[in-house]
Formats: sequence, C-alpha cells, structure tokens
Amino acid sequence: MTKLASISGKELSGWVAGLGALILFPMLSLEGLNEAGSITLGVFVFAAVFWITEPVPIYVTSLAVILLQVLFLSDKGLTADLLTAEGSEVSYKNFFGTLAHPILILFLGGFSLARAAEKFALDRNLTRILLKPFGQQPTRVALGVMLVTATLSAFMSNTATTAMMMTVALPIVAKVSKTDPFRALIALSIPVGANIGGIATPIGTPPNAVALAAMAKEGIVIPFSTWMMLAAPLVIICLLLSWVGMCRMFKPQLEKFEMEIEGTFDTSRQAWGLYIVFAVTVGLWVTEKLHGIPSSIVAFIPMVFLPAFGVLDNMDLRSLAWEVLFLVAGGISLGISLQGTGVAAWMIGLVSWDAFSLFGLVILFALVGYTVGNLISNTVAATILVPIAITLLGSEGEMGPSVIVPILVIGIIVSFCMILPISTPPNAIALSTGLIETKDLAKAGFLVGVLGFIGTLVFGFLIWPLLL
Amino acid sequence: MPKLVIVCVEDEPDVLEAVVRELEPLEDLFDVEAAEDAADARSVLHRVWDGGDEVGVIFCDHIMPGETGVDLLVEMQNDDKWRVTRKVLLTGQAGLDATVKAVNEADLAHYIAKPWETNELVEVAKDQMTRYVIDRDLNPYPYLKYLDADLLGDQLRRHAGSDG
Repeated sequence: MTKLASISGKELSGWVAGLGALILFPMLSLEGLNEAGSITLGVFVFAAVFWITEPVPIYVTSLAVILLQVLFLSDKGLTADLLTAEGSEVSYKNFFGTLAHPILILFLGGFSLARAAEKFALDRNLTRILLKPFGQQPTRVALGVMLVTATLSAFMSNTATTAMMMTVALPIVAKVSKTDPFRALIALSIPVGANIGGIATPIGTPPNAVALAAMAKEGIVIPFSTWMMLAAPLVIICLLLSWVGMCRMFKPQLEKFEMEIEGTFDTSRQAWGLYIVFAVTVGLWVTEKLHGIPSSIVAFIPMVFLPAFGVLDNMDLRSLAWEVLFLVAGGISLGISLQGTGVAAWMIGLVSWDAFSLFGLVILFALVGYTVGNLISNTVAATILVPIAITLLGSEGEMGPSVIVPILVIGIIVSFCMILPISTPPNAIALSTGLIETKDLAKAGFLVGVLGFIGTLVFGFLIWPLLL
Repeated sequence: MPKLVIVCVEDEPDVLEAVVRELEPLEDLFDVEAAEDAADARSVLHRVWDGGDEVGVIFCDHIMPGETGVDLLVEMQNDDKWRVTRKVLLTGQAGLDATVKAVNEADLAHYIAKPWETNELVEVAKDQMTRYVIDRDLNPYPYLKYLDADLLGDQLRRHAGSDG
C-alpha cells in the first residue's frame, strides 16, 4: 500500500499526468477523433502513464481500464446516449468479457497445473531427474540448470520456476568457494533459463497471451503445437548461445560439482491424479492439430479435474496468480477501444511512416519493444505496442494475409528484456540471493538481449514466414 | 534488508568461544555477537536495535553471575522489540522450574542440553532463523542459502511475486 507520506516523485507525477490525461483528452476536440475516440485516447494515455510510473500495481491499472471503459465507452455507461448518437457504443459485455477471454482461460489452466505441480513437488522431482544426465562438470551443470529451468518455465510461470530452482540450487551452491564465479554462473543461469524458457509455449509467460489475444482478434488462432514449432527452436538456440557466452563471462574455477537433490516422487492418490491430469492436458495441447480441440478448451480440463481428484483445494484456487489474468485482460480490453474507435489509426496518422519499409517498421517496433521491456513490465510493453503495430502493419498490407510475424516478434522480444533488476521478477529474485551483483545481471542480460533481439528478427524475417 | 544477528550469552569464556566458533559458518550472512552475562547481553540487544538490525536468535545460558538466563529471556519476551526473537536455552543446569518458566513466560523455542553435539548449534540456528524470517515475513531470498526451503514454502512463493 502506498502511504500518502511516502509517495515518490515518480508516483506523484504518474497520478497527475495519468488523471490529467483522463480528464483533458475527452474535453479537447481533436480533429479526426469522435467522442469515443477522445475518451479512448484519454484512457490509453492514463493507462500507459500508470503502467509506467506504477502509482498503483499494474494489474490495478488494468482493472481501472475496464471500469473506465464500461463507464464511459459502453452501451450501459454514463455516456451511453452520447455514444449511441454517433454510433460508437460497444456492449459493456465485450469489456467484461475480456476477463474470461479464451487465452486467459488457457493461462488459468496452466496456473492450476503449475500450482498442483508445486504442491506435490513434481517440479522439484523433475528437476532432480532431468539434471542427472548433465554430470558433474561445472559448465555442464550450468547448462543443465539453464535447460531444466527453461523447460519447466515453458509450462509454469517464469517467477515460480525461478523461485523453485533457487530453493533447490542455492543451498548446494552456497558450499562453493565465495570467490568462484561458478556461484554467479548458476545464480544467473536460472533467471536466464526462466525468462527465455517462457517463450517456448503459449502458456509460458503473459506477453505470449498478449500476442495470442491480438491475433485471435484478427481471426488468427495459433495452435499450441504451432507456437512451439515457431518459438522452441529460437528458445533452444538462444539458450545454448547464452550458455556459451556466460561460461566465458563467469568461468568456473572448481573442477567438479555435484548437484545432488534429494527427494522421491509422491505416490499418493492425489499425486497420481495430478500426474494423469498433467499428462492428458499437455498431451492434448501438443496434439491440437490431430484432434482440433483448441488449447483454451483443453485448459479447462485441469480446472475441473484437479479439484475433483482432490489435487487442488479452494485455498489453492485462491492462490493462483489472478492478478496476472487481470493485467492481461485490461490490455485486451483497451485494445478493443483503441482499434474500434480508430484511435490507434489516428495515433499512427500523427507520424509519416513512408520513410520506413515494412522491415524497417518491424525492426523499429522490435527496438522500441526491447527498450521499453527492460524498463517496465514485459507484459505491459507488449500490451501497449501490439495494438499500434497491428493497425500500422495491418494497413501496410504487405504482410500477406496476416500480421502474425510482427505480433510474434513484439510478443517474443519483450521476454528477452532482462538487463535491469526491475526488468523481470526472476531478475529481482536472482539479485536478492546475494550471489550476484547488478553488474553481473547487466552483463548476462545484455548478452541475452542481443542474442534474443537478433535471433527473433532472423526467425521473424527468414524462418517463420516459411513455417506459417 | 536488515542484518540478522545471533546473540550468544554464556559466562564461561571457553564455552562462549566454542559457541561462537561453531556458528562461524553462518557468519557471512548473519552477525554473531557474544555476551558474557545478562547485562552485557542487554547492551548488545540495544546496540543492534539502535543500529536498525534485528536479533533473530538468542542462545542463552541459564546460571550466570547476576541475572539468570531465563529471567533475561522473559524480559525480552515482555518487550515488543524482542518478542519475536527466537529464544534458545543452552544449559546444563536449568532446573525444572526455570525451564517451565522459560517455556511459559519466554515462549522458549528450543532447549539444548550441554554438552551439545557437533553441528547441533548450526542446525538449531538455521532452523530458528528460518522461523524468524517466516514470523517477520522478511524477503527470504537473501537468506535462502542457509534457511530451510521446505519450511519457507509459501513465503518463497509470495515474495517471488508473479510474472507481469
């Protein structure tokens, strides 16, 4: 909670600029915008300012966006008559409906599986098993840690995976000499693996949801396995190159290191329930093309069967990361008005884009996305940029039938943003362990950023168009 | 992040030295402070408090010149500043009455009978420090390498936050 006395300059300017925009823009009659457009512009600037300056948590801003939309941009709100007169009213159900958007249901299913995996230590036991083949050579152990973290993070949240891996790795790494860079190597392998790994599947990290929801709005539904086919090779290449670079930056001194983790698989009835539900759900996800059941529908299976088998109880359901869903929902909802009222097109019209080729535009968006993503929440960065990119690139018409590639590029590139401690929660966790310093994080984060940036553009321009 | 301190109170210099030496492996994360009697301990407690740091665990002998260890622990329990400190009695001579008093009035967390076993002090210190971090709801990650990750469970999840 922010106490009035402890309000920072950044927060104060956020309050003033955000609320100012909210009030001012609807009062200005800007050329090319109708009433709904002016209100939407106010809500957009308010949201962007609040998401960046964070006077309230980012998910609260998202909820505020939905409230503002149902109040001032819907058919049942305070301005309903005004909007009806100009024909720009939208059913309030559309805004509320984003809270149950199929992509969010997909994430909800993922959250419930991840919670169950944590509860029965499936994540920990998988780590134990998967790390074994990497042996005892320190750089190989680091590779193992990175790949296992990435694999789990593809299905669990990046943050929860980092938390779990830290609890497994830290007590063991603490025994290594304090001057050995191996400590930093391991402490960095975990957030790097978690951040990059989140890209590999649709449910890996919320920016993926932003990209998927934007595509769904354009009528493009990407099956789970297609996303993996597009993203996983990029993930693997970036992980391997990051590992090579990080082993040079943090060259281990010790010659042998045993990552011994204790534990046994839970064999209780509930745990078996989890294993079965987990296998069935993931199995159905990756075989979507064979049976045609959309991944968001499959995701509702664990929501029913995990509680039914007693794997999750109501306390577990309450502990899911609902705020992440709210955060994404607010962004999707904002997108409805931005595109529907023509504000996105209007904003794009402010600048002459003729000087840019399509490639130039995609690179520009990637650059902006990468820069912004390092400074603010990756999800928010994608949320702000994607509707604008769709409108601009969609109107170019050169991308063929779809704007899939540029949306994927933005949605994925933000996940490589990890230079600063504030860039992602896994970074913050890694830093707070005391095993690394901010400069270590910046070095590794910069390497990952460069690799990810180039890698994503190469895939976007050369490889994805062939696969789609 | 506050510095967490372990205070050891013991009137026998040799024993005190042994206690501090045993806790040495934890010293890169926790300060270990030695005190030779209750009065000395009290000044250590105040010094730590004034410095903005926190006494997470106190290992205290019972029979000492001047005030007894149990009385010191009871006094701490009745002061808001040290109520949450985990209190451990490390003694060979506390009678039943004193021990009962320590449990009932000082919320004694652990009893170690002298002579203690190898590693016993370090294990008890880690365990009690884990509980202190939980009770105070501190960010557990800075201390994670010495704490019991299983005990921390939910707190690790909560302090990790969520993707955003």
